[in-house]
Order: sequence, then C-alpha cells, then structure tokens
Amino acid sequence: MRKKVSLILFMFIGFWATAQTLNVKGIVKDAITGNVLPGVSVIVKGSATGTQTDFDGLYSLSKVNKGAILVYNYLGYKKKEVVISQEITNVSLEESAESLDEIVVIGYGTQRKKEVTGAVSVVSSATIEDLNPTRIEQALQGQVAGVNITQSSGSPGAASNIRIRGISTNGDSRPLILLDGRVIEDLSVVNPSDIESINILKDASAGIYGVRAANGVILVTTKTGRRNSDFQSILNISTGFQQTTREIPLLNATEYALLANEAFAANGEALPFTSISGLGQGTNWQGSAFETAPIYSIDYTLNKGTEKSTYSLGMAVTSQDGIVGGDKANFNRRNVRFNFDTELTDKLKFTSSTIYTNTNKRNLIENTLGSILFNALNMPPTTPVFDSNGDFSLPPAVGTGIEVANPLAQIDNAYNRTWVNKISASYGLNYKFSDYLSAEARYQANYSIADSNTYNKVNNFGNNNVFNVDLGTFTDFSQSYFDYTFDAFVNYERDFNDVHSVKVMLGTSVFRTIGRFNTILTSNASGDDLNNVSIGAPILNGDGLEIFKNNNNGDNLSFDSRLLSYFTRLQYAYDSKYLFSAVIRRDGSSNFGPKSKFGFFPTASAGWVASEEDFLKDSNTVSFLKLRASYGIIGNDRIPGFRFVSVLNGEAEYVFNNTLVQGTAVGPIANPEIKWEQQIPLDIGLDVELFDKVNITMDYFKKTTEDLLVSAQTSGIIGVSAPGSSVPVVNAGTVENKGFEFSIGYKDNVSEDFKFNVNYNFTTLKNNVTFVGNSTGIIEGGSFGVGQDAPSRMEAGFPIGYFYGYQTAGIFQTQSDVDSHATQTNAAPGDLRFVDVNGDGVIDSDDRTYIGDPIADINMGLNLSFNYKNFDFNAYAFASLGNEIVRNYERTLPLTNRATYFLDRWTGPGTSDTFPRVTTGATGNNLFSDFHVEDGSFLRLQSVQLGYSLSNKTLEKLQFSKLRFYVSGSNLFTLTKYRGYDPTTSNGSPIGGGIDQGFYPSPKTFLFGMNVNF
Amino acid sequence: MKKINIKIYLALIIMLGLNLSCSDSFVDVKPTSNNSEDFFNTEEDYQSALIGAYDLLQSTYINVLLGEIASDNTLAGGESATDVLGIQEVDNMTHTPLNAQLRDIWGWMFSGVNRANYILEFKDKIEFAGKQEVLAQATFLRAYYYFELVKWFGDVPLSVDKRILFGEQFAIERTPKAEVYSQIEIDLQFAASNLPVVQNTPGRVTKGAAQALLGKVYLYQQKYDQAATALESVISSSAYTLITDYNSIFEEAGENNAESVFEVQYFDGQGAGFGCLQCSEGNVAVGFSGVRNYTGPDFTSGFSFNVPVQEVVDAFEIGDLRKEVAILDIEAWATSTGATFGVGYEHTGYFNRKYIPRTRRDNAQGDRNLTNPNNYRAIRYADVLLMAAEAFNKSTTPNDTKAQTYLNRVRERAFGNNSNNIIATGNVLYENILQERRVELVGEGHRFFDLVRTGKAVSEINGFVAGKHEIFPIPAIEIQLTGNRWLQNPNY
Repeated sequence: MRKKVSLILFMFIGFWATAQTLNVKGIVKDAITGNVLPGVSVIVKGSATGTQTDFDGLYSLSKVNKGAILVYNYLGYKKKEVVISQEITNVSLEESAESLDEIVVIGYGTQRKKEVTGAVSVVSSATIEDLNPTRIEQALQGQVAGVNITQSSGSPGAASNIRIRGISTNGDSRPLILLDGRVIEDLSVVNPSDIESINILKDASAGIYGVRAANGVILVTTKTGRRNSDFQSILNISTGFQQTTREIPLLNATEYALLANEAFAANGEALPFTSISGLGQGTNWQGSAFETAPIYSIDYTLNKGTEKSTYSLGMAVTSQDGIVGGDKANFNRRNVRFNFDTELTDKLKFTSSTIYTNTNKRNLIENTLGSILFNALNMPPTTPVFDSNGDFSLPPAVGTGIEVANPLAQIDNAYNRTWVNKISASYGLNYKFSDYLSAEARYQANYSIADSNTYNKVNNFGNNNVFNVDLGTFTDFSQSYFDYTFDAFVNYERDFNDVHSVKVMLGTSVFRTIGRFNTILTSNASGDDLNNVSIGAPILNGDGLEIFKNNNNGDNLSFDSRLLSYFTRLQYAYDSKYLFSAVIRRDGSSNFGPKSKFGFFPTASAGWVASEEDFLKDSNTVSFLKLRASYGIIGNDRIPGFRFVSVLNGEAEYVFNNTLVQGTAVGPIANPEIKWEQQIPLDIGLDVELFDKVNITMDYFKKTTEDLLVSAQTSGIIGVSAPGSSVPVVNAGTVENKGFEFSIGYKDNVSEDFKFNVNYNFTTLKNNVTFVGNSTGIIEGGSFGVGQDAPSRMEAGFPIGYFYGYQTAGIFQTQSDVDSHATQTNAAPGDLRFVDVNGDGVIDSDDRTYIGDPIADINMGLNLSFNYKNFDFNAYAFASLGNEIVRNYERTLPLTNRATYFLDRWTGPGTSDTFPRVTTGATGNNLFSDFHVEDGSFLRLQSVQLGYSLSNKTLEKLQFSKLRFYVSGSNLFTLTKYRGYDPTTSNGSPIGGGIDQGFYPSPKTFLFGMNVNF
Repeated sequence: MKKINIKIYLALIIMLGLNLSCSDSFVDVKPTSNNSEDFFNTEEDYQSALIGAYDLLQSTYINVLLGEIASDNTLAGGESATDVLGIQEVDNMTHTPLNAQLRDIWGWMFSGVNRANYILEFKDKIEFAGKQEVLAQATFLRAYYYFELVKWFGDVPLSVDKRILFGEQFAIERTPKAEVYSQIEIDLQFAASNLPVVQNTPGRVTKGAAQALLGKVYLYQQKYDQAATALESVISSSAYTLITDYNSIFEEAGENNAESVFEVQYFDGQGAGFGCLQCSEGNVAVGFSGVRNYTGPDFTSGFSFNVPVQEVVDAFEIGDLRKEVAILDIEAWATSTGATFGVGYEHTGYFNRKYIPRTRRDNAQGDRNLTNPNNYRAIRYADVLLMAAEAFNKSTTPNDTKAQTYLNRVRERAFGNNSNNIIATGNVLYENILQERRVELVGEGHRFFDLVRTGKAVSEINGFVAGKHEIFPIPAIEIQLTGNRWLQNPNY
C-alpha cells in the first residue's frame, strides 16, 4: 500500500511540475438510449488514478492534468478516451455487442476480442433475443461458422447434435459444454433468456480444457446483475402453435390397391384386391397422425446491483406439445436461476450461480423401424383407422411384416413419463493479492434425478407384431447423477515498460462424475393409464415383485469416472501488436489403465495485430487487422469406463427348475493397451474490420485425430458375442477434417430511425479417414432395411460414415439387357441395374462401393435484421449443401403403402429408367443402393420475426423501460430435393448418421409474444 | 483488516491444498464388478462361472433350426423369399462366407468355449469338495461347444484350459478337426468319470450325458467300437427309459423326463428382443417355427420357418404313431378344430409339431415369439439307442442282434406293438437304422449332420455339392479379423 501511495505521489508531483490541473466531473450515458450508466470505470490513462460513476452515472476526479486522457470503460460498451480540456466532461458510451472490445471467455479467464489468438466465436444475448429460440441450439445453427447442428428429432425436448468443425472421432463427437464452468451434457436444461453469452472455442485454444475438449468447447455464461443498479424486471411471454412442415405424398387407397395387384401379378400370385372400385381415397394415415400443437413460454428476470453486489433471479416455464401425439409427446420445463456476486472485502470476491431445472417429458416411439411416422407411411390406406367395433384396426394379417402397426393405436397405447430434477450450481472465490496476482477457486456441481415410468398396456397390434404386449408391464427406472468440477488457479498479470504484457496462469482441476441406476419391472400390470396402474400377480414363483437389475446386470448399476488435470498458460503481448499464448496440460483419466493413465497436451497460438503497425495505423479503410495461428495436441478419453481391464459384468443366466439362475461372466472384452485419442488442430485465421462497420473473420483449419478409440469388429473366437459382452476398444484410426470458415458482418446506423445489421457465414468441410488400423480396415455402422448389411462405413480414403452399397446404372428395360449384363441374382426387366464395380461378371456384395456420405461440403447462414423507427425485423436462414441422406422409411413389403413416386415406376420398356418395377417376388431392388440415397442439400428459412416497441414517451407514462410486441415464424419453408420429412435431422452417429427411418420433422412454429422491461 | 486477511489466506490455502492433495491416485478407480483375474476364491465363484458357461447352450437354438433347414426334412419358409436371408441360403445350399447366421453360430459357440475355459484356466486356484464335478461340467460344456464347431466348420482354433484373449486371435491357428475331436474325447471321458449318474437339478450334466455325447462323437468319427462301448454304458446304467407316450415327450409336462439324457433348459419368465437373441432365456427356434398368424387351440403363432416337406411326411410308415406328433398338418387341423392360420413363404401345409409354440401361460414375458419355454431335448434315450444300434451294426465285429434289439425298442414304442420289428441284418439293418433315425428324430436338428457323416447328403439334399457342403464356410469376416491367415473351407 505504501508503495502505491508513493507511486501516485510521485506521479502527482511529476505532473504538478509540468501542467495545470482540473477537477473533472460529469455524467456518463448510453449513447443511444440516453440512460445513465452507473459503475463505469474512469481512469487517467497511464496512471492508477481513477474512479467509478455512481448510481446516477455521475463521477468526479480531482486534479487531472489538462490534456490528460480519461479512459471510460464499461463492460459491454466500447472503451472511450477523452482528452481533458474542461471541468465538465459528459460522455456517452456506445454499446459494443459485436465490437472488438467484446469480452471473450477463453477458459480460466477472459480476453478482449482483439487480443484473442485462437479461433473463438461469440454469440451474445442480443443475438439470442433476436432469434427467440425455444432451444439454444437454434441460436447457434448457422450463426457460427464451423458449428453444425442437426436435430436428432423434431419432437419436443429432443436432443441436438452439435459438431464443431466436423466429425473428428468415430466415438463421441460432442463438444464439451460448460455452463458457468460446470459440465452439462445437454443445452436443453438452460432457458435461452438466462444466457448472457455463448463462447465457442474451435481450435487449439480449447486445449486449456485439455481432456474432453477435443471436439471443441462451448462456454455458456448466464446473466448477472449490474453494479449500482435499481431493480430491473424483464418479462417475456410468448405463445403459439406448431405444425408439420411436410406430409410425404403417398398413394391413396385406389392407387395403392392397383399397385399391390400389379406387384402380386408380377410374381404370379393371386391378386389381393379383386375389386378396386369403391376404395376411393382410403385412410390418410399421416393426416391422422399429425396435428397442430400448442407451445408457450414465460420467463421473468429480476436484476439488482448494489455498490458491492449484484443479484439476478430468473424464472421460466416452457411447455410444448408434439405435432405427433399432442400431449402424449409433451415437453415441459421449469427453471429457476439465481446468480449472486459480491465483494466480501476489497480483495475477495464471491461469485455464484444456481440453477434448478425440472423437466417433464412424454415420449412416443420415433426414428426407428416401426415408429409412429414410419407406420403412418407404411400402413395400407385401405385399412380404416377404426374397425366396425370402433376399435383401432389391425394391419392385414399377412403382407406388412411384424413392425407395421396402426400408428394411432401406438399413440393411444403410449403411457410414459420422465421427470428430471436437476440442481446445477457453481460457487467461486477470487482473491486479489495485488494488482498483479490473484487466485481463484471454484466449485461447480450438478445433481440430477431422473425418474421414468413406462406402462406397457396389454394390446394386440397385429399378428406377431413386435409391439404386441401380451402381459402388461410397468417399469420404474430411476437414475441419479452427481458430478463436480473443482478448479483452482492463480493468475499473474503484469505489464512491463508499457509494451510487454505478461499473463501467467497456473491451475489444477478435478472432475468426478458418478451415477446410479435402478430399474423395477413389474409384470401383470393392468389399468387404464399411467396414473391408474395396478400391478397384478408377480411373474416368478409367486414370491412378490420381481426386481430386474438394469440390463439384468447388477454391475452396471453405477459408474464413477474421474479426471485430474494440471495446467498452465502463458500469454505474452508486445505492444498489443505481437501476441503469443501457450498452454501445457497434464490430464489423468480413470478411463485408462495404469499404462497410459496420464497424458501431456501442449497447445500454442500466436497473433499479429497488423493494424497497430505504422503502415496501417492511420488507415481509414482498415480499422483492424489481425493474423493469428494456433496448433497443438488435445486429448480425448470419452470411452466407457474400465475397458482396459477384464471385468465380470457380463450376462450369465441359465434356467434350472424353471427358475432363472444368475451367474458370473466376463463383460466387454478388455484391451489393457488403450491410450488417449489425440487431436492435432491447426488453425490459421484473419480478423479484419473495415470502415469500423464491416467485420470479417476467416479461418483455415485442419484437425487431425490420431489413435482414434474404436470399438471395431473383433474376432468371435475371443467371445465378443457372448451375452453382456462387447468388442474391445482399440486405438486404431486417423481422421482428418479440414475446411475454411468465413464470416462477414455489416452493421450500420443509416439514420436515427434506420439501423441494420447483416451477417453471413459459410464453412466448407472435407472429412477424410486416412487410416483404420483394425484387422479389416473397416468399421461398419448404421442399419438399412431389415437384416441387410451395415450401410455405413469408416474406411481409409473416404469420409467417415460414408454410404457403402450398390451403384445403379438405370433400369433393365428388356430381357436382353439383363442377359448382356453381369450376372445379377433375381434380375428381370424393370429391376435396378447394379454396376459390376469389380468387373468380375457377377453382381455380388463385392460390387458395393461409395454411394454418398452424410457430411455436407458447405454450411452457411444468413442473418438480417433492421430497425425502422419503432419496428424491428429479423430474418435468418441457413443452408447445407452436398450431404446425402438414405431413404429408409419404406418397409417395401407386399402390402405396405408407398410414396407417389412409385406411380412413375417401370411398367414396360422405355417407361422409366429411374424407378424400378413393383413385384412381391425376390428382387434386388430393395438392397442398399444409390436408389435409396438422395441429395440432402437444403436451404431453410429458420426464423422471421417482426416486432414493435413502444416509444420512450409512451413508456415513461406506463413506467416501463421497454414494451415490445412481436410475431415470429420459425422453420417457415425449406428448399430441398429430398423426398423425406426433414433434411435437417440426423441421429448424429459418426458411422450410421444420415439414415432416415421416418424422422420426426422439426415443426413449423408461429409465435406471438411480448417483452416487457420495467 | 490484517486479521481478515490472514483468515482469507488460510481459507485459500486450504482450498488450494484440497485440490492439490488430489494425488494421481485420484484417477485410480476400482471397477464395481470383480476383476476377472481375481475370481475363483470360493466354491460359489466356480458355481457362478459355471452358470455363465451353461448360458450359451440356449443360443444353440440356431444350430438346431439351421441343422434341420439345411437337411432334406424342411424348407426355410418365413414370410418371403428374403425373410432372414441367411436361413433361406442354407436351405438352398447357396450359403456363402457372408452368411450372418453362420457367423452367429461361430461367435456364440466360441463364447461358450471361452466361458468353460475360464473356469478351467483357474481350476487349480482353490480346493473344495466337489470341485472335480464342477470341472467335469465345464469340460462337458467345452466339449459340447467344440463338437458343434467341428460339425459346422471343420478345423477350428483349439484352446485348452485357457481363454483366447484379445490379441491372441492374430496368432492362433485352426487346429485340425482330428485334434479337436481328441480333445473333445478327453474332456468327455473326464466328465464321464467325475459326474454323478443322477443330478438333483434337472438340466445339469450327468455321467450319462457325457457318455452319450462321447458315443456320438465317436460315431461322427466312425470309431464304431468305441462308440458302442460308450453308448452301451449309458444303456446298461439303466438310468434312462423310453417314455411310452411319444407325444408326451414334447409337451411341457414331458420336460426332463426319464428319456431325457441331456436337455437344454428354457423358460418364458424373462423378456427378450431381437437385439440380442443369444440373451433370450426362451427357445427362439420355436417361435420361428410356429404357424404364421395362427389362432386356435393348443398352439400359438410364429414366423412359419422350418416347414417340413411332403417327403419327410411320407417317410413315416403306416401305423407309425410318431407321425401325428412330429408333423402338424395345418389344413387338417384347421378343418377339425376351426383354427385359422396365415400362409407364409414356401407353405407346405406342415409344421414341425415337436417344436412349435404351445398355448402360452398368462405370465409369459414378451416378445413371446422369442420366449417360448420349450426345452430342447438335445440327447434323448431313443437317440442313444439308435446310435448304439448303428455302432453295434458297424463294429469291427458287428453285433446285429444287439443292434436289432435297440432299434426295435424304439420301433415298438413308435408303433405300440412289436409287429413292425426289424429282423434284417448287415447293411439293410444299417439303412433301417438310419431311416429310423430320420423319423424318430425329425425336427430335432440332427438330420443334416447324419446325412453328412453317412455320406448320404449329396444324394438327399438338393443343391448339396460333395467336397464343399459337408462343412459350412468360416465366416469371411472372421478370417479377416484374425489376420487373414486362415484358408477358407474348400470350394467356398
């Protein structure tokens, strides 16, 4: 302290000697709203002298040298420097939502955007407000270059698949998501309006999070209050409805019957429909399955700040029904959030954030063979919804297989509910030892309990149907999870000689996650619905309820997974021109054996702010220019636990005396040699700002993932197919993702009344597997049809998860076409002609080849917004080009329904070279070929929103600070050639993604809402 | 101020210290399950691991189903020509090394071998009373699984008293069939001399089961003298008798009866799904063989696979009481009972009545197509008698009297009288015995292998190519996965 005083004294004396001083005072306001800004820091440049504005935005500083520069700094606003020439100096600050002064969260610290050397993207609360998403992922989709989001389903509450810069591993490709520092698996627990900012670390800069950061890191920061502010309330209400975007055109009953007759006749079988007249249109199963479903959400935030503390309380309720099944697919979420930060002493700061989430969800079977939409597509239109007794009718006795069922009967018989109660909290203490040295400790934890009840009511869906329930069952599945992250780190920050800026951070982090599961299955359940189930006679030996352990396997009832990390980061900047940063991290994971438990992961990045150089400093065109590059190694341990040791958690069950006897057997096959998967990301980037209005960011990236942790096919002689066993995890593969990201933003205030903002971005991506080291050189995945070979592969020289099947060359028109072609089993005129790829004169499975891949070549997004007087408008579209989708929602059995394109089928020479004939006989037409692979490119208008805000004058009367009404539509239209429901959905599997089993489409949503601040 | 500072310093130091005190051992987590290398510490451990070895017997449903379909007894059936392609191929003798069901057999039988070997690998770890009997059950099971493997695939990698561990698949060679057979013989001899004649728990391996299987294994190698000895010891033990009412054998009440020498146990008290058929505690083959869309008395529906052909129906002599038990003539049954049914692919009008789904009890778990509780009568005393008859007929010094006696015991039961007894000798008797095996054991999965071992497959099975189809191809993927070193079986 004494040192500081003397320093100030010294400076004071120094200035006294040379200059005249002024007692400066004034008020600081928002440049646009004119609101006063409390808590703005005002510092004399080049000194430690400074103050803060008070509650009314007022400040005063005595004895400031005339000609000295005062720096006004306020979070979220552009820094402003003013040369002091008079005593009264009023200042207005401009908000800096997109500017280079934006604070970027980089992990265990923050940086101003202009100093960042890694590839980091930021989505601010402003963007989130503009898009008004039901889920946060929608605010990232197409907004951030390099981030690709697909939905696993359009059903309420379904998970999204987030991929940063491609699919870098065959295993878990999800990025690490940290909510105020704590790990969350799924963004759906967070209420979008609680979010202050989302920062996405895309390159080696993610290395600060070392383990599990290999797929990138998403840092979500929630809102805190502002210092020295009065109570501020924000209320958002919206309500609306959702509809399906599409119904696939299907044959009506008459068309269907004619086509079925044709198919039976082609195989010399008796016609199933002897009388066609009178069949008419028949049942529109899709029309019966889809409905208009309501959606609403309300959230309220209350903020307050005192001189030392800030408070923020948020509450939200969202409820959404399904466009299939209505309230049988309801998703309901309630959140309460409380953030509280305070200065316990001058040097000690406490931060906290606590979120309670309750979700309540009901499910219908979807995205699989036999799901509701699959059945809506395959049920014969000649079958009515209800039979003459008023019961749900059954599919025909023969001819539709064992998975096709009446979809409405399926909806009616779905009784389940999942409740999740989750508390997520983070608490931190930061202590400032001196201006240079601080230490921080944070404890971040999640605790959740998920309970799900499923009642399978006795029901007959048809002959041998796989969904038949002969014996009612009631399942109570409860799961509890607890995880904590304990971080402690020390920061040293100091500038030397005005030009050398040094920051050193040293830290350690501990992470542990545990979970427990318990399933109780009771048989002979009966009753009308979930709330009224009575459990009947016990199923075994008359001795009460039978408790089945999860997967009938007592040893998978819990897990415990841990990480231990030490890390250090060194940042150095010379004159804000040359920037350098390096990270070394040592991670230990309980997922690896003693041989490779620990790994060292170094990363480094550098930047050159060219606009600080003399030759650009005064440029009017280029207001900012930075070149940056990063490189490093990041580890990945995301494999199931204990795969390095042979554990007795297999299934060993036999029957003696008509009683189940449990024994012991080896579970998944162990590989003691497994080690860390390593990702080596390279990024070269350029940030440019032109005319202070146009922002451009470009990045070239190349990510190589080595030693991929692969669960590949393994020889059966080691017992991999025993009950409860599975193949070992091995390090065997290399994947490369490279591409180019470009984003441009243009923002202008044309006049007081008219402001606009345009952002466009695109990302190219080329994924290439360069090595697969298991014995076959191939890893297979996915499924197509019933009992067919796996359609997706990972293989050197191809994109990961590419589609592997027969290539077609039109249709055989005549028998001589068939005869002159290579021998193709069951081929007849009208059938698909498969290419003899290996030229051996026989069409067999060796002729299968690359027929597409699910990875888009280019993704792009466009966001346009403008304000005119009191109106605001926002529109946002995104597109994906060059990905393929496999059409796998057709069961193609003798009596299943078909899409209308079968009307263009081959019926004789010259009739079609695209769509094969119909027949019930054995044909290769249903084998996986490029006939089933379609271009999945699309352009989607994701969101349009028009708002009207009341003028300040009116608001003053109402005592509101903001009152805005809006209408919005999302997912309004999609341009695509794809024939299925929705080209944007995917199950997200690296190998086996992009296969459409009748995906539940993302709904079209119309909302009306209002935002009130007071 | 200073006091507060000290407190804060202390608090911070404690917090940092807590973190740093996490030494590297923090990430050494013990699995909740036992480590497989640290087991077999009690008798219970051995017994428990034995359950694991028994478990795979249930997966032999596919061996039985395919063994029948491959023969001249039945057609594949199913819903359509593409319903379970692998089964259709085996029926048509068009199977290739890509056949998925053959790969199931390969993987599941080796899983059984490994689980039996796991016990035997640790056979010397502790001593307890009755250990020899535990080991005897394990060696029997290993022999049972290896016998299936040599029957289906010929030369297979042999591992004795040691699991095949990950990594070793790249070094292990296929062991010549003869060597595998000698190990099977050693195992069964050991089992026979260490197992009791009667087990308290039905379904446990007995001395008789080991001797009968040993006899069968000899028979498959044309070691008739040894076969005769082994099988004779089963007969002379008087532990087994033929059940008078042939029909009762295949009903639930007839499970583990006096004729049952070895029986694979199934039940319907646990659910099952298509995702893991080998995990089912039910007999999956039964549901597959059921009448499609059946509604009516006595039976329930299934997937209409494994449908008997007219030829096997005609193979029964007039007056043979077994015909009505073995073959369900669905049209006649429907006419007499009013039952209804659907017509599947390759509908012959006949079903394998021994192993089609019976009316289910109310508490049977689903998917009921996969949880039929019908035990598989793997070795019946009738089979033992016929094998013994064959062995005595073919012995170095044939004993046709004995052969006739054993054969006629089976025939007397079949006809309910002795007026159909066989008096032939020599080769005619031999043919009679084989014919008897066909009708006595139809639908039980033995026919294909009987035809192969007696050299009759080529003349009886459509599409059978001599020098190729005697054994099935090693799954191509399994050759790749062991390092592409093994030669495929001839002509595949």
